[in-house]
Amino acid sequence: MQIITHACTKCGTIVSANELESNRVMKCPGLGCQNVVRFDDLPADDREHFIENRERYDI
Amino acid sequence: MIGKSHLSMKGVLLSGGTGSRLRPITHTGPKQLVPVANKPVLEYAIEDLKEAGITEIGVILGHKGREEIQDLLGDGSEYGVEITYIVQGNPLGLAHAAGCAKDFVGDDDFVMYLGDNILKQGVVDLVESFESGDHGAGIALQEVDNPQQFGIADVDSAGNVTELIEKPDEPPTNLALIGMYVFSPAVFDAIERLEPSWRGELEITDAIQTLLEDGYAIDSHVVEGWWKDTGKPEDILEANQLVLEDKSLRKEGTIESDATVDGRIELHETATVEDGAVVRGPVSIAEKTVIKSGTYVGPYTSVGANSTLDGVHIENSVVIGDSIIEASGRIVDSLLGKGANVGSADEFLPEGRRLIVGENSQLKL
Repeated sequence: MQIITHACTKCGTIVSANELESNRVMKCPGLGCQNVVRFDDLPADDREHFIENRERYDI
Repeated sequence: MIGKSHLSMKGVLLSGGTGSRLRPITHTGPKQLVPVANKPVLEYAIEDLKEAGITEIGVILGHKGREEIQDLLGDGSEYGVEITYIVQGNPLGLAHAAGCAKDFVGDDDFVMYLGDNILKQGVVDLVESFESGDHGAGIALQEVDNPQQFGIADVDSAGNVTELIEKPDEPPTNLALIGMYVFSPAVFDAIERLEPSWRGELEITDAIQTLLEDGYAIDSHVVEGWWKDTGKPEDILEANQLVLEDKSLRKEGTIESDATVDGRIELHETATVEDGAVVRGPVSIAEKTVIKSGTYVGPYTSVGANSTLDGVHIENSVVIGDSIIEASGRIVDSLLGKGANVGSADEFLPEGRRLIVGENSQLKL
């Protein structure tokens, strides 16, 4: 199963695609980081793959 | 066998999970921060990784306790390590957690350490055993009496794993996987090819089995000392016993002249054992805690910070901290959450115990 992540450009905190997708737009979860991370920050291919296989990323 | 290229070793420390078996303690915080001998379980893991020369550590966070864990560990500098946080979100399995660390790990090998586990020997031997050969992965094993209830490894005479079997009816060995692993980056390719199991998770045992099928040698290391998964209250108490038994304890606080203190005691420099109190080690007493006259603190007890014990008899227990315990009875084999207070009902009528108890609490009266 492809595991997709995104690293915050400000603090380096790595966020999984399922977390990004469930929030779409969110404050970086890195403590004290004010950066905003978005599902749309992921490359288009990764977003498409995730959305096509969304049920596999849910528990 | 397929070879691996070794550059350096990183650590991946799993700190997700709901802690449901530790409720109500975990209603207000993650299970990895429950203290054992007055130190959060997670700190033992950080120390073990550092002892093995691993100073770049990725901490995997779930939904619960993200801020508390980051607040405790910070950037790692207080521990002499460098921490990167990795938010897994949904608990999609250990292999998914490992997969989330792929960009952090890069081309390095890495130790994967379950953050609610604690073991006597640390991971130095596990890492050295892995590095002694050309391995795709290394797993820590321990002999158990009930192998039917564990994931079991079969190994050859050289210590290489030949098969992993989940809860076998007829186990080939009594060597159980205990949740400490070393992986080469080849595991990421194996994880990409995994499908979720019947419970919807990517299983780390499936990833190791895939490495085996790909021709990688899988090292095994049998852990001789104790190991505890601190997932349940009784596990916390047992881990507390084991750590207090082994730990070097320093008596730096105030022991008044008419207090009785025997055995090994860890007493923070700001803690006090007052006249008329009795403390029998091994015991750990944290900062700004006061043991008052008429109190007995017995072996294998840890009392957290900012607590007052007055007139109680307590042994083999963990008081997490910020507690006032004034009852005159005996408290044994107990785990008291932060800010939990126990008073006396002796003066109240009608006679009886008076409880304000949160969800999932367990009382034996």
